[in-house]
Amino acid sequence: MHAFPLQSDWAFVLGSLDLLFEGLVVTVALTAASIALGFLLGFPAGAVEVYGRGPLASIVETAGVVLRGTPLLVIIIILFFVVSVSSSAFVTAAVALGLRSGAYQSQIFRGALQSVDEGQLEAARSVGMGRLQAIRHVVVPQALRRSVPGFQNEFTIVLKDTSIAIVIGLGELLTVGQNLYQGGQSTAALEIFLTVSLIYFVLTFTTNRTLDYVDDHFTIPGGEQA
Amino acid sequence: MGAETQESASAAGGRTVRARAADLTDQPLTALAVAVFWAWLVVRWTNDFLLDGSLAPRGTSFFPTAPIEFAASTLSGVAADLGVFGLPFRWLAGLVGFVAASVPYLPELATGVWVTVLLTVSGIAFGFVIAVPLSIARVYGGTITRSVALAYTELFRGTPLLAQLFVLYFATPLSIYIRELPAVGTGFVPAQAFWVAVVAFTLNSAAYQSEYIRSALNSVPEGQLTAARSIGLSKVEGIRHVVLPQGLRYAIPGWSNELVYLIKYSSLASFITVRELFEQADAIASETYRYTELFVLAGLLYLALVVSASLLMDAVERYVAIPGLGTSGR
Amino acid sequence: MSDPLLRLDDVYKSYGDERVLSGVSFEMETGDVDVVIGPSGSGKSTMLRCVNRLTEIDSGAIYLDGDCVTDADTDVNELRKQVGMVFQDFNLFAHLTALGNVTLGLRKVRGMEKSAAREKGYEHLEQVGLLDQADSYPAELSGGQKQRVGIARALAMDPKLLLFDEPTSALDPELVGEVVDVMRDLAAEGITMLVVSHEMGFARSAASDIVFLDGGEIVEHGPPEQLFENPRADRTREFLGRLRTEHEEG
Repeated sequence: MHAFPLQSDWAFVLGSLDLLFEGLVVTVALTAASIALGFLLGFPAGAVEVYGRGPLASIVETAGVVLRGTPLLVIIIILFFVVSVSSSAFVTAAVALGLRSGAYQSQIFRGALQSVDEGQLEAARSVGMGRLQAIRHVVVPQALRRSVPGFQNEFTIVLKDTSIAIVIGLGELLTVGQNLYQGGQSTAALEIFLTVSLIYFVLTFTTNRTLDYVDDHFTIPGGEQA
Repeated sequence: MGAETQESASAAGGRTVRARAADLTDQPLTALAVAVFWAWLVVRWTNDFLLDGSLAPRGTSFFPTAPIEFAASTLSGVAADLGVFGLPFRWLAGLVGFVAASVPYLPELATGVWVTVLLTVSGIAFGFVIAVPLSIARVYGGTITRSVALAYTELFRGTPLLAQLFVLYFATPLSIYIRELPAVGTGFVPAQAFWVAVVAFTLNSAAYQSEYIRSALNSVPEGQLTAARSIGLSKVEGIRHVVLPQGLRYAIPGWSNELVYLIKYSSLASFITVRELFEQADAIASETYRYTELFVLAGLLYLALVVSASLLMDAVERYVAIPGLGTSGR
Repeated sequence: MSDPLLRLDDVYKSYGDERVLSGVSFEMETGDVDVVIGPSGSGKSTMLRCVNRLTEIDSGAIYLDGDCVTDADTDVNELRKQVGMVFQDFNLFAHLTALGNVTLGLRKVRGMEKSAAREKGYEHLEQVGLLDQADSYPAELSGGQKQRVGIARALAMDPKLLLFDEPTSALDPELVGEVVDVMRDLAAEGITMLVVSHEMGFARSAASDIVFLDGGEIVEHGPPEQLFENPRADRTREFLGRLRTEHEEG
């Protein structure tokens, strides 16, 4: 650890903004990667839960229950120490967050798919579409719009939970804060952690407002909300 | 606008998550497993904390490992004899071997489960006490109380729980104050870090619970309070006797969701040295290098707690159900 | 000479730019059954809600038994103990049984013992013919039964005056009769009632006075035979004509 010159605690935080910014970049990248992986897993999983039959459906369901019933901390640790997915902390954290987010996103999509009226499918079939076609062109577009609010919620949850990657030493925002406190200026604990919290708050706040806008933008006039 | 969509979304999310768990809890096998799990926990805790280890010495398993190990080695022997066809036996042997290796750690993990349960229950209960006035302030308060309550919930819901734990533990003198209280850290009473975690979970959970209760209060029709006032109840009495009893029933699905959430996130208390389930597993693992057994075991124990919570909340929901009111009717 | 039970004195009420009541003055005595009629939006419900201060008036005064109840320092809960109200959409407490609905006010407002409240609750449920439904929840009752519980709930507080805000207009036609029958019984028992309703049968047979409200003003006020058979104002005649046509068509 290199010694910092003694300075006021707020000046210390201000002087460390570049480090915090690096942490912020890791946090944002991890969130994006996890949400994307979660979507790739969660959307098909949700569809399987609604339309699937047999062993595939029960495997998806059981995996979901296990992933939703286990703390993220345990999932990360198991992937890191037991399964050893990757030597990269970033990849490990993204896989853990992505798996767990997929388990939750599957429920969002499942709910949204189920909320589309039964008659929509019948109407599509009655104009001669096949079952898959009807799901693809009529049910899914409506369901995706309805899943925006749930998706918004999931987005902020993942964003906040990237902080748990501190356990495997990934240099995200909270880890940077922790390092500044332990290896830098320990009197500045309050200033450091409040600043870190504020950055998270700004992130979740802007994410929410942005997704509000997306929601308004994609809402079908007069279409019922999920 | 934003809070509105978000809250309806989380409410919907809560229902679907729990509906899944309910599918699982419908099975009699699950109920049996949960019953066995809790019987073991209660006997273990009674033995360790109350009977001073009179059934089995503290830290010693109730179950002998030797027969299980023997079973495992027999099975792998059978597997070897059968060659290619022995594959199922080899899996079984692996499973039994895992059990044999895990059993010795169960007692210490049970102590961790105790702390996890305490953290969760206190967080939910104390959080509820704050959440009710908070949500009432949001729905019925004036401009100032309303914005104070809004700011509180937005701040606590907008920042990571782990950051909140760090602020309270590292950056405030809270743990010093608590350490100086009588009895803290002696006998039954856990050390200060535990209490800091309880404070953090309480403050955090209050914010989430107040959102669930707020949306539930909003779903009670306005005429209910009008009718209450028309028979001479004051506004506070009307909220107390008419709106809350209905609103809290609407809030049960969200509340179950919060309980599950808190069980899982209580593991974050390990970051501030609280010896709850995860910390206990982590501590043993770093001594014994038995990472696989301990973390898989910890995960299974969390899963058992989560399934128990879903089962419990289903029962609560059935118990307080009123025709035409609550989740089934909506 | 004693005070009238209820007196409205030059009452004004506006919602924003829209004037709902403009200078309403009106009196009724104990034992009277007054029925307020008028086109929708004429201020009937607002007038009713001003009496128990679910709505606050802008100017004027309302007196109950000689006491001004629209003063800022009047205890509204005290007032509402004396003035019962029956709502158009029932507003039964959804988490309580029929009996629970009737006894909540007795226990929490009047401070009665549980057993005494139950006894009185049963009495009033019997009065509306619903003793057998005491343990049913609102969701298990028909609309007519709900409204009868609503009436029992208001009666249980032994009010000096009972307000009815279109008590039958949310009901299916075949359920209106049972509610009107109960109201007729109450009128015969001498309960003082101020009723907003277009149930002409009830108005003719049970009302002591009819009040015709239009555009926030009382256009005409008199006994039913005079007001229905021989209305003085053109506006009244026109309104009654329209009402009769609707009635015959429906």
